[in-house]
Parts: sequence; C-alpha cells; structure tokens
Amino acid sequence: MRQFFIITWWEFFRHFKSKSFVLATFISPILFALIILIPTLFLNNPASDEPHLVGCVEFDTTRIAQKIRERFNEINVNRKDQTNIKLVTIRSDTSDYLANRFEEQMLLKSELDSLNDAYNKIKERRKYIFQKPKTPKRERLLKRTYQELIQTRESRDLIQLDYIRTKATNDSLWRRELIRKADEMLRKQELEGFLLIDTAAFSKGIVEFHSFLPAGFLQIDPIRQAVQVVAVEERLKKEGIWGGKIQEWLEPVKIKEIQLQAGEKKEFNFMVNYLGPIIVVFFLFISIFTSSGFLFNGVLKEKTNRVLEILLSSVNHTQLISAKIVGLGILGIFQIIIWFGITLILIGLNVLNVGEVGFLSIQNGGLFLLYFVLGYLFFASIFVGVGSLFSSQDDAHHLNQFMRMLSIFPIVLAVLVLESPNAMVVRILSFIPPLTPTFMILRTPLGNPPLIDYYISIGVMVLSIIIGIFLAGRLFRVGSLLYGKKPTLRNIFRFVFSRY
Amino acid sequence: MNISVKNIYKTFNDVPVIQKLSFELKEGMVLGLLGPNGAGKTTTLRMILDILRPDEGEILFDQGRINKNLRRLIGYLPEERGLYQNYKVIDVLIYLGRLKNLSKRKSYVEAVRLLDRFQLIDSLESPVSHLSKGNQQLLQFLTTIIHRPQILIVDEPFVGLDPINQEMVRAEIRAMKANGKLILLSTHQLTEAEALCDYFVLIDHGQTVLKGTLKEIQKNFKQNMIFVESTDDLTHLREIQHIQKISVKNSRAILSINEKAPIREILQEIINSVNVTKIEINKPNLNDIFLQAVKGKHQV
Repeated sequence: MRQFFIITWWEFFRHFKSKSFVLATFISPILFALIILIPTLFLNNPASDEPHLVGCVEFDTTRIAQKIRERFNEINVNRKDQTNIKLVTIRSDTSDYLANRFEEQMLLKSELDSLNDAYNKIKERRKYIFQKPKTPKRERLLKRTYQELIQTRESRDLIQLDYIRTKATNDSLWRRELIRKADEMLRKQELEGFLLIDTAAFSKGIVEFHSFLPAGFLQIDPIRQAVQVVAVEERLKKEGIWGGKIQEWLEPVKIKEIQLQAGEKKEFNFMVNYLGPIIVVFFLFISIFTSSGFLFNGVLKEKTNRVLEILLSSVNHTQLISAKIVGLGILGIFQIIIWFGITLILIGLNVLNVGEVGFLSIQNGGLFLLYFVLGYLFFASIFVGVGSLFSSQDDAHHLNQFMRMLSIFPIVLAVLVLESPNAMVVRILSFIPPLTPTFMILRTPLGNPPLIDYYISIGVMVLSIIIGIFLAGRLFRVGSLLYGKKPTLRNIFRFVFSRY
Repeated sequence: MNISVKNIYKTFNDVPVIQKLSFELKEGMVLGLLGPNGAGKTTTLRMILDILRPDEGEILFDQGRINKNLRRLIGYLPEERGLYQNYKVIDVLIYLGRLKNLSKRKSYVEAVRLLDRFQLIDSLESPVSHLSKGNQQLLQFLTTIIHRPQILIVDEPFVGLDPINQEMVRAEIRAMKANGKLILLSTHQLTEAEALCDYFVLIDHGQTVLKGTLKEIQKNFKQNMIFVESTDDLTHLREIQHIQKISVKNSRAILSINEKAPIREILQEIINSVNVTKIEINKPNLNDIFLQAVKGKHQV
C-alpha cells in the first residue's frame, strides 16, 4: 500500500508541476471564456459599441415617425436585453429645382386661397342683394355678380386643377428624393436600415423596412413593437378612445418564466439554467481529458523509456495502474477545486453574481463531482489500456487524436439535452457510458431528471468502469512489455483473453 | 536465500519461448544466464520478477512464491534503458528508492552516497537528460542498487558503458557477491560473464544448452583446442585425422579436437605438415563453447 501512495503522489505532483497542467488549468479556461464572451459582448452590450442608426422616412406631417420613435425609446429602455438601435428621422436637403417647384406650389396655393376667398365674398354679396328686394338696381346687380361669380369660379377651378397637379408632382418628387437620400445613407452604411411610413399604408398596418441585412440580424423587435403600438393607438383614436387610456392598455406584457426544479418552482434564468451547466460540462470535460491525457502520455513515455519495467519490478500491474489512475484523478479534482476557488474570488470581486452560479448548489455540486469521478475513471481505464499498447508517441499519435475526437462527441450531442432534457432519446443516451457523465451533468440543473435515471446511470457507469479497468489491466499486463510491433485489433483481442 | 527456477515453460502465441528451464541461484553466487538474442533470457528474468507468469513450472524464493516483501529485496536493471528525462537525478533516485521501501530521508542519503561514489555528485540537481548516455546508463544502475538489494538481477549491465564505468559496475557486482548477495547476470558478452560468474546457464531458443561452473562446462565439453602459427598455408591441416573443426585467419589456425584424441600424434603430424612458429594446447573458453553449442556445426 505504501508503494501505491508513493506512485499516486509522484503522478500527482510531477504533473501538477508541469507546464501542461498550468496551461490546461489557467490558459484553456481563459481562452474558452474569451471564445464565449467576446461575441456575447458584441451582441449584447450596448455600451461597448456605437449605436446602430435606423432611419424613419415620413412623407407627410402626420408625425407618425415621431410617435414610433417615442414608443420605441420607452419599450427599449425597459428591456433586459436592450438593443443598441437609435431611431432618427431622415430629412432631405431640398434642391433648387424642388425649391422652385414648392415656391410655385405655394403661389398656386395662395392664388387658390385668394380666389376661394373672392368667390365666397361674391356669394355673400349676392346673398345680401337677394335678401333685400327693395335694393335699387337689384336685378342688374344680381346679373352682374352672377357673371363675376361664374368667372371667379372658373378661375378658381383652373387654379385648383393646376395646384392639385403641381402638388401631386411635387409630392411624388419629394417622396423619391427622400427614398433616394435614405438609400444613399444605407449604402454609405450611415444607417442599418430605415422605416418607410406611408400614411395610407400605415392605416392598413403596413410599414416597409429597408436594409441590407435580414431584419432578424438587427434585433428590430422593439421597433416592431413600437410600430404595432402606434398603429393600434391611431386606430383607437379614430374610434374616439382617449389617449391616456390607450397607453395604459398598450403597456407591454412581461412574461415571468417559472421552472420546476427539484420539486420547487424557481424563476428561469438563462445564465443559471442554461449557459451555466454548459460551462460546467466544458470545464469537467477539460479536467477529465487533461488527467486522462496525462495518463495516456505518461504510460506511453514510461513504456518508451522503459521505466515501466523498473516500476513493475517493485509493484504489480494492478497497483501500478490503480496508483496512476488515482494520482491523476486527484489532480483532476484539484484542478476543479482551483476553478471553484477562482469562481469564489470572482464573486468576491463582484465580477460574477452569486445568483449566476446558483445552480452550483451543494446537491448539484456533489452530483457533478460524482459524475466527474465516474467519467474520469471510465475514460482513464480506456486511455491507460490503449496507451500501454504502443511503443512510441508517433505510433500512438493518430489513435490519441481519434480518441480525443471521439471524446468531443458527447459535447456535440449535448444540444439534444439543451432542447429537451427529459426526452426519451436523451434518457436512453444518458445510459450509454461515454455519454453518461456529460448528459447527466447537463440534465441535473436543466431538467431535474427522475431519481431512477440517477440510479441507472450510476449503475451503468460503475459496471463499465469495472469492465474497463479489467480490460485495461489485461491490455496493460501484455502491452507494457511489447516493443516495436504495432498491435492489430486481432492482437488486442488476443491480449485480453490470453494468459500472460 | 535461494531462488529455484523449476522446469518453467512459457509460450507466446503458441510458440514456446522457454522450455523446461531449471537452475538455482544461491547466496554469494553470480549466475550468468547466457544465450544469443531471442534465446529467452529477458523473458526468464521477467518471470523471476513476476512481470510475466510461467505457463508451467514454478519459481521459488526459499520455497515460497514472490511477494511484496521479496520484491523490495530485488534490484532489477532491465536490458532497455531510460529514465524520466525531465526530472532531476536526485528526484528520480529518491522516487525509485522509496518504491523499494526506503524512507525519503534514507533514499536521499543513499542517493547522495552512490552519486558521490560513482562520481556523479555534480549532477545531483541536473535533469537526467543533461547526463551523457553513458552516465544515464550508470545512473540507471544506481537506481537498481540504491536500496542495497539482497538479489540483483541485471540484464546486459555493461552495454553502453565506457571502460571506466564498466569497471565501477564490475567492482560493485564483485563487492555485492563478496557480501553474499544473489546475483543473476544476463548477457551475451561472454568474456564479461566468464570474468564475473560462478555458474552459467546457456540457453538457446528457450532450451538449456549447457549449465554448470566453467570447469564443469569445459570438462563436459570434451574438446581441446590447438593453436598453430605458421608461415605456410594452414588450410590443409583439416585433412589430419581427429581434427573436428579448423578456423584459419591470416597465419593462425585454431583446431578443435576431441578430448580423447591422441594429442601427441596430432601435434607431430602438424609439425610434419607445416613450418610451425608457435603451437599451444588450450581448454576451450566460454565463447568457443558457446559458438559450438549454439551453432552446433564446424566453421572453416
């Protein structure tokens, strides 16, 4: 037993001091955190980026654009995941040609107004003459004013036609000018997109959104909500409902997500219930494969430099394998303790919120540790058995790569757990040994699996570990003394079942 | 203490590699396990150390099987060498000493003592990889004897060592023998074996070819060697009756004759045949016996 502890300590301490351990414990998680955090910061942190401008193009003076802007600001400010969008009104510098056209339109309008005025005055005068039968020269006056009225009306109608035509042309030109201006800003990337508000279309609930990227990429949900609110407000106003009431009715609804966890109901939190367990799985994955990798390379190196044979003259195969597995398992647990310590420090420094790591309860932490140990023992037995079959790093390189690729498989399949943690397919996959640790660690905070699933998964893992260590022992006993020849599958099968 | 190897038999993939091998190693004895490459020497050593198990037969340490207490009494130097290259010399010695049940303190003291005695003390804190290949070999020998083993099992101990280090290792083995330790030396360097061993077991293809002390082997070999030097062509000496084998090189010939052959007549015939400048009658050395026994045919 003394030799067992000496080897355990040696394996633990020599790898603890190695650069690879420092790399796996400190550098890999930092890289991992950066990979996760950098895109998140870009997507979610409004302070980290310039605001995205979205234009409002409005052709008339109904001020719908302004209302949408106001509603958008109200909605966005109350959102947890605020978008970094700012709504601006697009104005166009009027060209000389267009200015002349508007000047002309204004003159026509003045002329039309004065003709209207004159026409109305003539009508008033005729009415007065008509109502006073004793007015001298009444008939003559009526006849003369009639002539004046006809003439004024004809002139007014002509000017009105002219005015309507000019206005229509000018409106059309103005509309084109505004869209041209907005398109140009879009092309110059001064805008992410723009809303085109046409009053007629708006009354039917239609607003155009012009952009290069699909609207979904720009997170325009708050804009969509604001447009919806203003459209409903306008419709209700038409029905004569008081504005203050409308605002009250249109207050956005907040859905509070409550999740059933371990018999109690808790508010759903993306970080706590979704991202957190994934991060834990990744970290345990790093830990399992750091330790198993050390074991694989350690056995291979000791075999290459023939130290194994010296060790085997002091201890038997079983003692040697078990001491190595335990030593590196302790290293894995130590690595987890270091990460746990770093988490506590980050909480102390207020970098992390206690609530954000709330899923690391004592119960969950215990289960995570249990599945780590089971997962490590399972993979360690495979790695040590296979590692002992090769005589050099070069021979084992491809197999090592393949096994690492294979080990990533559970992480890839973890998407299934995230989608539906207690689905039948996920439950069945949870009982397949290489997948069990990852799946159960993910399912624990996400889906609160039934107790029977824990019993079955632990039973399956224990059985697999016993078989794995038995086979690893057989392979190690023969493999540790084989030099030169690469083993074939047939050889491996024979090693397991032959007497050596 | 005695080690008795009794009729051990071992096969790999149905091919016998050791067949009915028996010998006994006693205190103060250096036993040479000799044989060509692939004879089964290393497999035999591994079976003694319980790294491999014999299919048949048994290996007894004072009538008992190997156990963890006996393992601590054994020092083993495997044929292929290598140590933890990136670790300090002292750390490697302490680790391997502790595995042989020395305390950490005792391991350190013994390590320093050995490094000093074998002139490696300056490398105490150096990584193993900084030592020359020869010194790494020597260090490996030191890891074998750090716990002052009762039983020393060494496989090709002189390979890769320079003459000075060879002499140090040789002296250490002699000292251990004088202290009544059991020493099992496996080698194909027969001159070394002849100089160090008291008892020889010669195996080939897993089978015992010869065993005994040098005298016993020479006696049983029943051959004499005649060494002839001459200015004449020596090849036609093979026509002389009773000559079993002749080996001619330059102006020298070695003739093998049966022990019971009439030496006086043969010598006379040689002198009559060629102009002899030198002639000697010798007992065959281990190398001659080895070649004869293993190859089993005459060389010309």
